Formats: sequence, structure tokens, C-alpha cells
Amino acid sequence: MSQNTISEVVKLKRRLYVELLRLVKTRNLAEEISDLSKKIITKDSPRYRCCEFKERAIFEQRIKAVLGFNIADNKEITLKELASSLPRHEKNRNVVEVIDIACDSCPIDKYIVTDACRNCVAHKCVNACPVNAIVIIQNKAYIDQGKCVECGKCAQACSYNAILENQRPCSRACELDAISSDSNRQAKIDRDKCVSCGSCIAACPFGAITEISDLIEVAVNLFAEKSKLAAMLAPSFLGQLGYQQSAAKINYALKKLGFARVIEVAAGAEITAAAEAEELEEKIESNETLLSSCCPAFKSMVENEFKEISDLISKTDSPMSVTAGEMKSEDHELKTVFIGPCIAKKEEALSDQNVDYVLTFEELLSLFTASNINLAQIDREEKLEDAGHLGRQFAYAGGLQKSLEEIIAADFESKQIDGLERLKKELNLIRAGKQSYNFLEGMACTGGCVGGPFSMINQKLSKKLVKRFAKAERFLS
Amino acid sequence: MSENTLKICIGTPCHLMGAADLLESVEELDQSLREKIELKTSHCIDNCCDQAPVAEFNGKVYQDLNPEKLYKIISENIR
Repeated sequence: MSQNTISEVVKLKRRLYVELLRLVKTRNLAEEISDLSKKIITKDSPRYRCCEFKERAIFEQRIKAVLGFNIADNKEITLKELASSLPRHEKNRNVVEVIDIACDSCPIDKYIVTDACRNCVAHKCVNACPVNAIVIIQNKAYIDQGKCVECGKCAQACSYNAILENQRPCSRACELDAISSDSNRQAKIDRDKCVSCGSCIAACPFGAITEISDLIEVAVNLFAEKSKLAAMLAPSFLGQLGYQQSAAKINYALKKLGFARVIEVAAGAEITAAAEAEELEEKIESNETLLSSCCPAFKSMVENEFKEISDLISKTDSPMSVTAGEMKSEDHELKTVFIGPCIAKKEEALSDQNVDYVLTFEELLSLFTASNINLAQIDREEKLEDAGHLGRQFAYAGGLQKSLEEIIAADFESKQIDGLERLKKELNLIRAGKQSYNFLEGMACTGGCVGGPFSMINQKLSKKLVKRFAKAERFLS
Repeated sequence: MSENTLKICIGTPCHLMGAADLLESVEELDQSLREKIELKTSHCIDNCCDQAPVAEFNGKVYQDLNPEKLYKIISENIR
């Protein structure tokens, strides 16, 4: 089973997307938004919380996030007021946010003793504990949480597997330890550490962590304001929009949906690769190390936690940034919409004046669904040939490294690492001067962008389709 | 010729609600079960897009599926 098998939480969110978009399409958003939670959550719909009232209260906070508003800042403001203020022209501050009433305050204690403890004679747990945090109380082992250092040795030692690792799914998913708990024991995001990778959003089984979306904003532009929009498809888009959907068909469908312009971000990636290659050649000559800059989560982590070596990051703009710049210079009225599997791109877009909006693939699919466009039934195509393999292979881990090796004639040593935790270890070595290669490709998500938290399909399949597309190249006339 | 036919809808509303998961789960079935099933895809089944994802097994339509539900349907109704 793929890691992304969708849950009820995800389905509920996507249903909400479609319902909201239908209201935008029929120009009834401000009038009917207050009734939406009553319409979707009825007395008879499946119940996950104590009562339908709590469920609706959570739902309304979720709607605020989809409308593009930070939840904590807009607690007292009604949905109707928020909906009436669209389109807004400022960019959001926090990309990832906890819906506090949805957070179940899961237990914080990392190790707990379960009823399987038999108070055995061996007491391996007591012996294994390096800080003497385990005592026997009422015929059962007891962990003094004040002393516990969460090393896990007791759990390994127990012959009955009676000690359970009980970490919160959100903090387990966060490879940067950016999630702690507030005084209500609810999840709290440490903004100095968070790089908006989106792992916690995907991990929370209560759907209590959410991204602040640009979806409704884009829809208002598309359907109501009739703005000219450019869809910029991330290199990983192949296969994400449905079984056997060709790039040419997707191009046609996006135009039908109302986008004035469609472009592969791989086109910008080619320019990024060329510029980064030049930068790298200088580094090779001076025998220094260059860190890749295309993954915004990796880049943020270096800037947050490895300030001493943050000048090693490539100065080259990311493929998204380059592509958006090209779009704006082609037609300055175009509003640019990046579409990908990534949440960190939303963060990157906040400080890039050329990128107006960032959507995920599921949000784009919701736009199609709400517009009754079924890609499977479309039989027309429009060629999409903006880039060659040097740009297209950016979608998977190792692709950028390969492109640079192809461009640069000289021999150089490089390394490719995906996953924030592994990258952190590597950066520690670099900081300590224990690595001597010239280039490190860093991707926050395992597998690269094809393994992004908002990818719609299996990572292996996605990589295969991207590779096939990269091989097809463009045919220059 | 397989005795059983499974048709999975790959239309956009179904894809949004996890049709790709269903397709993948079929490929992961035990060989003994998988070889009895002819897998087809459909652009839309019965226009019941609000109940996505949808599949049809041996002529009967099932709605609001997930890989676990689909597995149960297949193992209970396989000929």
C-alpha cells in the first residue's frame, strides 16, 4: 500500500474544497458559507468527535484555512466577513498551522508502561534505565516522566513488550523537532525550526494541522474576477492528475478550466541548472562546497540551524522562481500559480514577488471536479514541450545532481541526500569540516519532489512517469 | 479469459478521492486472487461522482471505496 493511501480526514478536506469551489462558481460564497458546515455535517453524517456541534466548530476553522486566512488571527471573525473580503492582496504569514480545537492533545509521555507488565523477577527495564527513572509501584513498573530521557532502552529490554513508544504522530513526523505542546498539551509549532515541509499535516490522524491555502483565492481570480492566470506545473506533475493522463491532455484541460497560460516549471529548472553549474564551476576551482537551493525546506533548514555555513547555499533562483519571473516578463498582468506536491513552496512564495499563489495537486483536482471537467473524458490535446530532460529530472532525488554532471565537463565530487534528518547529519559533518566534495544536492522529502507530502500517486510510479517524460524531450522545429 | 471483471473509475472526481490507491491495491493482491480478475478502467460509472471513488465488480457498483473495502468486496464475491 502506498504511504499516501487517503484517509477519511483527507477525503473530508477534499469534499470541503469541492463544495467551497462550487459556491465560488455560482457566486454564492459570501451568502452561503455560513451554512456550509451545517450542510456537510448533519446529525446523521459519520461522527468522529463528541457531537456534531464540535465537529462543525472544527470544520469552520478548517474553512478559514482554505479561504487563506490564519486561523489563530481570525478566531472572532465570521466566515461571511472573511469570504466577503476576498480577493485579498496580502500574503499569509504562517503556512502551517494547528487547528487548536481539533488537536486531541495526544499523550506527551514518550514511553508508557502498559497492562502487559507482569512485574517480573528480572526487572530488565529497571536495570536498563540509565537514569533510574523506573520504579515498581503497585505491582507494576512505573516511569517517572520527570527523570525519563526518552532513550527507549527499557522498551527494548522488556521481555513482554510491555513498554510502548507513544510519540505523537505529528512530532514523530517532524524531523526537525519543531513540534512541542502548549499549556493545554496541544501541538505547538516552533516557528524558528519549522520549514513548512508539511510532514505533520500528512501525519495527524485528526487532521488538526493544516496548510493555509490559496485555493479559494485562485478560484475567485479564475471564476469571478476573470484574471489572467498562468499555471506553472511542477516537474513532478506526471501521473498526479489521474491514470494515463498525458501532459498534452492536462495542458488542454487547464486552458479549458480558464488558465490563460500553462508552463512546465522544468523550463525554469533548465535555467536553474545552467546557472547553478556556472556557480559550481567556480566552487570546483576554489575547492569549496556548494549546497543546492531548489528545495525550499532544505534551504530553510540550513538558514535556521546551520547559519555558519548558510553562505554555501547556491545563490541561483529556484525553478519556480525563474519560471514565475519568465511569466511576468512575458506578460506582467499574468498572475502566477505554482502547482505541485509541496507545502514548503508556499513558504518560498511568500518572499517571491513573482509567485502569486501555490496550489497542491489535490487542490487543482478539486478545481477540475467543481468545474465538472473530467480529465478521463477529454480527448483533445495541446502539446506541452517547454523543457528537456535537464529540467524535467529535477522531480526526483538525484536529478539535479545528474543534470549538473551532464553540463559540467570537469570531474567533481558530489553527493545526493534526501530526508531532513539525514541531511542534518550531513550538514553537521560539513560544518565540522569533515566533508570535502564540491556539491550537495539536498531534498527534504524522501525520494525528492515525487515523494512530496501532497503527491497523489505512488512514488515509484511517479518517478517512472517523470523519467519517461524526460526522455521524450522536446522536438525543436 | 478471467471469470471476474473489476472496473475501476479513473475519472477526475474518483482520482481525487483515491482511485489511484484502489488501482495500486489490485496490483498488490495475492497472485492466486489477482489472476482470476480482469482489471478494466472506466471514465465514469453511473454518474455517482459524489460517492467517489467508485468501482464495479462482476456487474455490481460499489461506492465510497477504499483499498480495504475493495479487498473485502473482491474476496467475498470472487467466482
